[in-house]
Amino acid sequence: MNARALLFGASALALTASGIYATGKIGDWSSLLAGNGVFAAQAQTVAPTNEKPKVDETALRYFARQGDQKRLDAEIARLRALYPDWIPPEDPLALPQQSDQSLDAMWKLYSEGKFAEVRKAIAERQTADATWQPPADLLDRLAVAEAREQIINASTIKQYDTVVRVASTNPSLLTCGDIDVLWRVAEAFAQSDRKDRAKDAYGYILRNCTNPEERLATVQKAMPLLPRSDLNTLFELERKAPDGTGEFAVLRDDLARQSVAAADADSELVIPQSDIDTVTRLAREEKLASDALALGWYYVRRDEPQQAEEWFRAAQAAEDSATAAQGLALALIDQNRPSEAEAVLYKWRDTNDDTKAVYMAAVSNLLAVVPPVPIRSEVLSRMVPEIVKSKDAAAAQQLGWYADGFNQFETASQWFATALSWKSDDEPSAYGLTLMRWKLDNQIGVAEMQQQWAGQSQRIARVGQPDLQRPEGQRGTVPMATYGPDQIVAATPGQPYTQPAYTQPAQTQVAPMQPAQPAPREIVRQGQPAAGPAPVAQAQPHGQVIAPAQRVAASQPVQRVAASQAPAQRNAGCSTTIDPSVLSAQSALNRGWCLMELNRPLEAADSFQVALRSLTGQAREDAAYGQSLAYLRLGLSDKAAVAAAKAPQQKARSVELNTALLTAQATGAFEQGRWTETIMALDQRAKIAPERMDLMVLRGYAFLKLRRFNDAERIFRAAAGTGNRDAQRGLAAVKDAREGGVN
Amino acid sequence: MRKTVLACMVAGLVSMSLGWVTHSEAQASISSADWTAYKEKFLDGSGRIVDDANGNISHSEGQGYGMLLAFLANNRGDFDRIWSFTRTELMLRDDGLAVWKWSPDTDPHITDPNNASDGDLLIAYALGMAGNNWNRPDLYQSATAIAQGISKTGLFQNQSRTLLMPGAAGFSAEDRTDGPVVNPSYWVFEAIPIMATLDPKANWSGLTASGLKLLEVAQIGPRKLPPDWLSLSSAPKPANGFPPEFSYNAVRIPLYLLRAGNTDRKLLETLRTGMSGPDGSVELVDLPSGTPVQTLTDPGYRIIPAMISCVLDKTQLADDLKTFKPTSYYPSTLQLLALSFAQRSHPECL
Repeated sequence: MNARALLFGASALALTASGIYATGKIGDWSSLLAGNGVFAAQAQTVAPTNEKPKVDETALRYFARQGDQKRLDAEIARLRALYPDWIPPEDPLALPQQSDQSLDAMWKLYSEGKFAEVRKAIAERQTADATWQPPADLLDRLAVAEAREQIINASTIKQYDTVVRVASTNPSLLTCGDIDVLWRVAEAFAQSDRKDRAKDAYGYILRNCTNPEERLATVQKAMPLLPRSDLNTLFELERKAPDGTGEFAVLRDDLARQSVAAADADSELVIPQSDIDTVTRLAREEKLASDALALGWYYVRRDEPQQAEEWFRAAQAAEDSATAAQGLALALIDQNRPSEAEAVLYKWRDTNDDTKAVYMAAVSNLLAVVPPVPIRSEVLSRMVPEIVKSKDAAAAQQLGWYADGFNQFETASQWFATALSWKSDDEPSAYGLTLMRWKLDNQIGVAEMQQQWAGQSQRIARVGQPDLQRPEGQRGTVPMATYGPDQIVAATPGQPYTQPAYTQPAQTQVAPMQPAQPAPREIVRQGQPAAGPAPVAQAQPHGQVIAPAQRVAASQPVQRVAASQAPAQRNAGCSTTIDPSVLSAQSALNRGWCLMELNRPLEAADSFQVALRSLTGQAREDAAYGQSLAYLRLGLSDKAAVAAAKAPQQKARSVELNTALLTAQATGAFEQGRWTETIMALDQRAKIAPERMDLMVLRGYAFLKLRRFNDAERIFRAAAGTGNRDAQRGLAAVKDAREGGVN
Repeated sequence: MRKTVLACMVAGLVSMSLGWVTHSEAQASISSADWTAYKEKFLDGSGRIVDDANGNISHSEGQGYGMLLAFLANNRGDFDRIWSFTRTELMLRDDGLAVWKWSPDTDPHITDPNNASDGDLLIAYALGMAGNNWNRPDLYQSATAIAQGISKTGLFQNQSRTLLMPGAAGFSAEDRTDGPVVNPSYWVFEAIPIMATLDPKANWSGLTASGLKLLEVAQIGPRKLPPDWLSLSSAPKPANGFPPEFSYNAVRIPLYLLRAGNTDRKLLETLRTGMSGPDGSVELVDLPSGTPVQTLTDPGYRIIPAMISCVLDKTQLADDLKTFKPTSYYPSTLQLLALSFAQRSHPECL
């Protein structure tokens, strides 16, 4: 028994068209295919036998007489592997003449690949001569050849179970000499959820097969099919040249590229820094737009917009494209540079749905800058038709606020109305329209809106109430009326609302969802994706379990404080209506507390105002405190803050008051869609008091609205860790927003 | 030789337990001349039965017919040749069934991985018969695997009946609003008892019963004929998306009934009356109106009502029906099947 037979046991040597022989271990494949998945290169013991096996030399003779040296050599090698003791004839070409012409014809058909005709010839001869038996060699080879066809055909139409089934009954087919079949079987494993076995199969090839091109192609074929950890295992089977270079060096670059591409598509995916370094090096050296793009998407999805900007600009330099511009615009929006984003993407805006969406995001963000900055007229005049064309209610609403910011109330009204015509349930636009009508002193119009939105929006209902703080507009220099919607919209009259895309248009920063790459199809329009239940309601979960010390409902920040700390002497009757200015300071103070108990905060605030005239510091402090609480209860946090500043407060009371004030500010800002302010207020509040669970949720939603998904997720995850249901819903909303993409 | 002994033992067991070997099967019921004429026209060297009236494609039905005819002609060489092509080119599906269509002009030759259950039945039937009669365990094993595949993916229950899906994809109630849709001509009645011996666990007798029931209830229109494609979502009616016709599929139904030994006079007479045109021709019929869509005069079609008359009334076949001259694949196949049946069971009609 020779060494090879000892090592490999029942080996099969196969023949390729190119005449390369290779050894395949049937034992390995049998165990792999049989299902135990073990792929150890263990020697098989051949049972010792005294009987010399009869070696079928039919094929040998045939090939010798045909002068087919390649096939002859292959056959000798095959027979040697099967029968280690067999000694091939010294001169195969001098073999005795075969007289069986009909068998010759069968071998000829076989060597021509006419397997069906061999079958026919065998059956016909057996019909004619019932005693005749075809050589086992011919039958085996025929079965293997037919199995090979079946495997290739089944693999081509993705019938992977068939591939594995047929291979498992024909393990002698699985040799390095027929690498295509090995590849197809390995692929069949990978494609039918047997990745481990696929890894073993590819590993088998790398351990046993020697052709350099085929080895390289093996790894290339494995790359899209196997997870990184399995690929690493395969890379360990790399062979090194004498100079130390690995045969798969070029593939390592591709692997890094593939890794970064996968990370582009999944912002959660953590990949080795070495992959990023490799692609970075490649991008610098080879200056391919595709590498730069991959890095751009990688960074933009990981909230590193400056890095992303750098790479998208590099991609543009290599090859300007819609994708590069889109990525760059996203990176700029993330850096609060919507004006540049708009300029970068304008010429590509109509390339596809994604570029349109990101362009509209840039527009909305640009309009939403607070305080508003004048936008150059040529920019404005190119943005407006895009807004009209896309019937983008969120952007129209932003134009409304933008006009309002420059005290162009009439124009603002038209834009809010336009937004409503595109999206009839858009509360922020309805609020804007109501507010503009009020500013324009259109009482009937205000009433009309309030009737229409009765029960649906508190802030619309409150428009026109005397204590409403009129927003201070900043006088601008841009003649907004030029860009009012009326003329433009008139071009598309009577268009019903057709775009249900934006559920909650933002008033301030609106960052678009970052797209997946290389399938930026997943990108989202810039509006808000449905983010679950109204977040404000969630942020004030009255029935929710909160630590007792923190149990101050956001909407009623004063009651407990008032009950526990207000001065005792406030029992004087206050049911009558009087002008508090006639009262003494102390009486006014008492009356203020009394009115607070009757939940008449507006009158209480007036009484506390009178009490502030008191000469004693304590009374002034109490009065300022009371008035502040009264305004808080009215939802007028700005006034409350002013009131609180009217007299110095004790430290504890001051903290309490400020906490309540900031709470009210945060919820108020959130209600009005001012997400950044919400977070600022919460940040300030967090400096003086621990953040309550409901406010954490509020913060999470504010981040979500700003599309700072990672931040939102971090917050929701922390809150959800305590079992908070709203936070869990928030997590789901983040996930939806991330994945849901296009509205 | 050990292998041969084993093969004989297996085959012996099979024939003892099943008792389905008929002596007549061992002899050819198709003459060597007729088979030669057939294969010269429709069988190419690679073992492919060519549907020459249909873009020279091949399909599982044709391969199954080819194997069955080769068996009936007792030609083992051609049987193995056709089976070799069938196995390597069509037996590719993960469920062990055959893909239904092979096109010579496309690469890959298979463009639709769906199966056709009549093709599967015919292939398994021919393999089972050949494996059993020729003592070929390899063929018998393949037949068993296909029979099990059919019962697993092809048989389904509908209103307490066992029915046959025409193909794995596209015909169920989930796949179409008027589903399930069946093809009554896919009931190859003579093959069903053989399936029962190959795969005894499945309800094959129920399949025969349901096929006969369908022919009883789906007598549609003034000519009381079954449609090619039948919707069973409610009361049986022609399926959407197909012409509501008794056409090239359903035309072979009487032949299948006869070959399976069915002599139900009422059913066979209804079919004969419905399908017969003037001068012994066969009419394809628009079922709602009963008007003929096409009149077929090829002997391969005309032999079908003539065989009904042979079986029911001992009427002799006309000379031109008795003589086989290949025309095109489908009617020529039907004619050989009919002649083989007459040869074996009704020599008095010849």
